[in-house]
Amino acid sequence: MRFVTRRLFFYVIAFFFAATFNFLLPRMMPGDPITAMFVSQGNPLSQETIEALKITFGFVNGPLHLQYLAYLKSVFTWDLGYSVQYYPLTVNEVLNRSILWTLFLVGVSSLISFSIGSIAGIYAAWNRGGVFDTLFSPLSLVLQSMPAVIISLLFLFTFAVSLDWLPTGYAYNIDLDPGWNFTYLSSVAEHAIMPIFTLVIVQVGGYLITIRNNMINLLGEDYIVMARAKGLSEMRVMLNYGARNAMLPSVTTFAMTIGVVLGGSLITEYVFNYPGLGNTLYQAIVNRDYPVIQGQLLIMTLAMLTMNFLADVAYVYLDPRLRNA
Amino acid sequence: MLSISGITLLAKRNKKAGCGFLILLVFVIIALFADAITDHKPSKRVARPHQAPSAEHIMGTTRMGRDVYTQFVHGTQTSLAVGFSAGLIIMALGTVLGISAGYFGGKVDDFISFLTNIALVIPQLPLLLVLAAFIGQSSPTTIALIIGFTSWAWGARVTRAQTLALTRKEFIQSAELGGESRLRIIFVELMPNLASIIGANFIGSILYTVITQATIEFLGLGDPLSISWGTMLYNAQTTSAMHVGAWWEIVVPAAAIAILGMALALLNFAIDEVSNPKLRTFSGLRVFNKRVALIEYEKALGVQGANS
Repeated sequence: MRFVTRRLFFYVIAFFFAATFNFLLPRMMPGDPITAMFVSQGNPLSQETIEALKITFGFVNGPLHLQYLAYLKSVFTWDLGYSVQYYPLTVNEVLNRSILWTLFLVGVSSLISFSIGSIAGIYAAWNRGGVFDTLFSPLSLVLQSMPAVIISLLFLFTFAVSLDWLPTGYAYNIDLDPGWNFTYLSSVAEHAIMPIFTLVIVQVGGYLITIRNNMINLLGEDYIVMARAKGLSEMRVMLNYGARNAMLPSVTTFAMTIGVVLGGSLITEYVFNYPGLGNTLYQAIVNRDYPVIQGQLLIMTLAMLTMNFLADVAYVYLDPRLRNA
Repeated sequence: MLSISGITLLAKRNKKAGCGFLILLVFVIIALFADAITDHKPSKRVARPHQAPSAEHIMGTTRMGRDVYTQFVHGTQTSLAVGFSAGLIIMALGTVLGISAGYFGGKVDDFISFLTNIALVIPQLPLLLVLAAFIGQSSPTTIALIIGFTSWAWGARVTRAQTLALTRKEFIQSAELGGESRLRIIFVELMPNLASIIGANFIGSILYTVITQATIEFLGLGDPLSISWGTMLYNAQTTSAMHVGAWWEIVVPAAAIAILGMALALLNFAIDEVSNPKLRTFSGLRVFNKRVALIEYEKALGVQGANS
């Protein structure tokens, strides 16, 4: 358990660093972004109005260290203030509206990629040099190097604009009322096909290659030879002896990929106008909605930290050697 | 380091590497001779808007009546320049930090590993977008710098792990006992054996940079006046090229990014195979040929017989 506590401690510190960076970011930039944000709204405002606005949106005047303390307090109580763009909604409300959509896209696409990638990788390694391996292993690497921008644009152009098979954007048909009925859910599914497939293409190659390479490295091990010598079936040696051990590093890959997937989701959501976190971040960036940008970065960092922590815990569970470390 | 002769040898003996290398070479030639193979500035209006590809404009024209081929050629120049320079920064930082952490150990390692691990758990792309937006209309140079200085963590981590593994081997320990200076050990003993990792880091970073730059610019956070694959996509998107059926405006930059990505991925796959012979797929007599090729390749790299 010491391993887990140590990691947990690290993640808390990492979050602290990320939060500090988040605080410094707008303040390091040239000019005064806080004033720029309100002045760019168009009409000139009086000094008092600007001050009042600053207080409303949680900007504290005064020396940097006092600002910093106020900021830390707001972060750890998760009271992130109001959104500039969607006032009077709070940052939390804005994030709550979009977080489930992103979780949906990222979760489903990760599960699909992990399953397909692992099975295909195991198979490719077991029959390495075979037709499947020679064809799909390089192909998966090529797919992995395709950016989400390109895939989503090509999907959009082919299946939505040209062929008109799938809707061009948003998460569901806006004429429908959200609810647990078939029409609404099928509309959600229809709108999610292209974003999810884009994200699957971005991820699946990574899993395939990781597990294939791990598995190939394992195949010469004594315990594999032993299992074969005992006369176990091919299937059993492949799955219970080979794959089980080869899967281990994939857990780390799973945690590491979350950053890539969040990035991919961001751009995919933008292209398909999907109402998730990424699109919200983009809108916030364009509209200089600093409170929302900060909240976004924090929540994305938190997501990465959580995934990494879960991977650590899973690792301890899967690899007995770590339990006493 | 991967010398030129090393790369050509690798390309000759490994089909994937050869393929990737050839494609990369074509892009480099396009970039180097951009002015020679186009006859006007990429921003010049030369035809009516949204002309389909024809003999005169082989890749069609944009909404603004600009020649897509000319834009593609000059875009190649920008995208490759940004990719290579950010790739160099990432490779240099990753190598220096990774080797220092792995070889010196102790406090140095603790500090660098801590930094690396923090950098790894901060979401990259959102951060880059916010940085690019705050700086405002980031030029290609700015984009190269911000990508270069924020993306070194993965390379540093991998290099550190490999350095650590090498440091425990006999040939490094005997060099230390023999009184070789630390600098000599790093440059003569360690670096050649890290060549494949450093090379993979470089190539992976170029790929990452080209993709990320295109993403930043596509979202309109780059300098809209610069000509690159990303701004081509951005302009196509803002003039709704897709909806009026001007597919060439989207397909040209998209294909350029995809093909360059493919070439770099193939090169990386080949480096993996050469540095880890287990991953190669042998059959029959080719085993022997490839073993010979590997020995020659390692000679070319100056590897000091440490792949035991």
